[in-house]
Amino acid sequence: MTETAFQQANRGCWSGGWVRFRKNRTGMAGAVIVVILYLMAVFAPMLTPYDPVSQGPLPEMRHNAPGWSHPLGTDKFGRDVLARVLYGSRISLAISFLSVSLSVILGALAGAAAGYAGGWIDAVIMRVVDALMAIPRLFLLLTCIALFSNSVPLVIILLGATGWMATARLVRGQVLSLRRQDFVVAAESLGAGGRRIIFRHLIPNTLTVMIISATLRIGGIILTEASLSFLGLGVPQPIPSWGRMVFEGREVLLGAWWVSTFPGLAIIATVIGYNLLGDGLKESFDPVHFS
Amino acid sequence: MAAFLLRRILQSLILVWIVLTITFFLLHLAPGDPMARYDHPDISPETVALMRERLGLDRPVVEQYFRWAAGFARGDFGVSFRYNRPVASILAETIPNTLRLTVASMVLYVVTGIVLGMMSAARRYSVFDRLNTIIALFVYSIPSFWLALMLILVFSLKLGLLPSSHMQSLDSVSLSGAALFFDRAKHLALPAFVLGVASAAGLARYMRGSMIDVLREDYIRTARAKGLTEASVMFKHAFRNAAIPVVTILGMSLPFLLGGAVIVEKIFSWPGMGGLMVDAIYTRDYPVILAVNFVVAVMVIMGNLLADAGYALLDPRIMARQTDR
Repeated sequence: MTETAFQQANRGCWSGGWVRFRKNRTGMAGAVIVVILYLMAVFAPMLTPYDPVSQGPLPEMRHNAPGWSHPLGTDKFGRDVLARVLYGSRISLAISFLSVSLSVILGALAGAAAGYAGGWIDAVIMRVVDALMAIPRLFLLLTCIALFSNSVPLVIILLGATGWMATARLVRGQVLSLRRQDFVVAAESLGAGGRRIIFRHLIPNTLTVMIISATLRIGGIILTEASLSFLGLGVPQPIPSWGRMVFEGREVLLGAWWVSTFPGLAIIATVIGYNLLGDGLKESFDPVHFS
Repeated sequence: MAAFLLRRILQSLILVWIVLTITFFLLHLAPGDPMARYDHPDISPETVALMRERLGLDRPVVEQYFRWAAGFARGDFGVSFRYNRPVASILAETIPNTLRLTVASMVLYVVTGIVLGMMSAARRYSVFDRLNTIIALFVYSIPSFWLALMLILVFSLKLGLLPSSHMQSLDSVSLSGAALFFDRAKHLALPAFVLGVASAAGLARYMRGSMIDVLREDYIRTARAKGLTEASVMFKHAFRNAAIPVVTILGMSLPFLLGGAVIVEKIFSWPGMGGLMVDAIYTRDYPVILAVNFVVAVMVIMGNLLADAGYALLDPRIMARQTDR
């Protein structure tokens, strides 16, 4: 298969972007934070000897202050807070990655269909986008959670299904400008169908913008998931989740500040990492920024 | 302009109605029973059946929908399953409380965001600007519930300066005038700070970018060349133009603030719609869930319309374009 001139230009843009990204200190700092977090999530069993779920001997292990044996202390069930923070990163990172992927896929399909088809299809899709954006996301999520009992797959699906609207708008805008480009007109004149044009020509050319916007949104998703878990409507017990851990520590703030503080700091570090990475990607790959 | 706004209102209301209809059917067809909370040995099945009949839950879903829709159109939001009171009267108590919190947060949000953004833009790349960017990034990444807990830990539990919950003190009935105002302001301080100032980080970043773009314009150079003071250039010439895109952000931030109010109200035991919504979720109080969603959607639409109107006021060209159509 031969490359089109547009694809060659696009490839050039990617390699140039990587050169710019490697020189971008903000982006690289974010990338380092995110890579460290993923390594901690993957190697959690090697980093702590404690189990995040099983209880310690009570009452002597309850709310032990940070020390040599438990660097971040223990919670009311005598569980090691460091172990729960480390294992909690698996849940937080997995949920945010999967739900952002789902929302990007849904948004890309809806946005590309709206932008390419135009007419009433465009009008219907964009009005649905407007309607869903008119309701605060947390209200929408809480309403949906009211329907089913909360579970990890449900949280992923809901976060994905309620977060596709911004991507749809973005992709629609891109597709509207791309569809008049020569390579799309050429594909149409060669008899390519709508589905082929959307999947082979339009969506691949919006990938850069989609990846940047997805990275910038992961931070927000992590905060939303943590908020849901804080309200007891996200990740169910006893799976360690940062939001729930902060909630569990709120009754003992004065006596055992470490139970709430460290999971909160973990959330902040993750969100900062993704925001820096997203900013770096935007500055390096987004044509509006580097031109 | 009026026709444009009217068309926008009508379109939005139709959309809200569609969303509410979908929510209604999902709520009623999903597993789970709002009467399950009366599943108790002391409550006879006949009593539960009677309550079910009284609330209309024994009727077919489609009939329930039309009864609900007809009531809704008349402003009757039904009876709360949990409180056994008209939803409208519960909302009448909670909406002003949420508005008080949201408006106070909005003021803090706008003032802090715009002032910090303008100061950063005026001293671009200075130590202040860099520090501001770093703090903004940090604050932007803090979960509101964690910030709330840390502030309670410091200002309520350690220092004992500010109350950690409710809208006013228990003995506030004996207070009046300035004392009552001061008591309420003290209770409002922490929740409004968490909701407003924490969100202002994003606005400050946006304002900085918008201001920097404007400061590059020729008319700013002209204003400076005319010998105007820096304050006059910044406020009279740059601010008004830089504020135009920010107004859109303000309109869009209302859903964000109302969503954030859910968490903040829950933590600070603030008797508003957010806390009401969370409790309604736990108890499957359908009429309350639907009514709160409706009210919140209407508030958001009104916020967006106000933003559009503000946009037109700040930039007369937009008004002219609308009139041309």
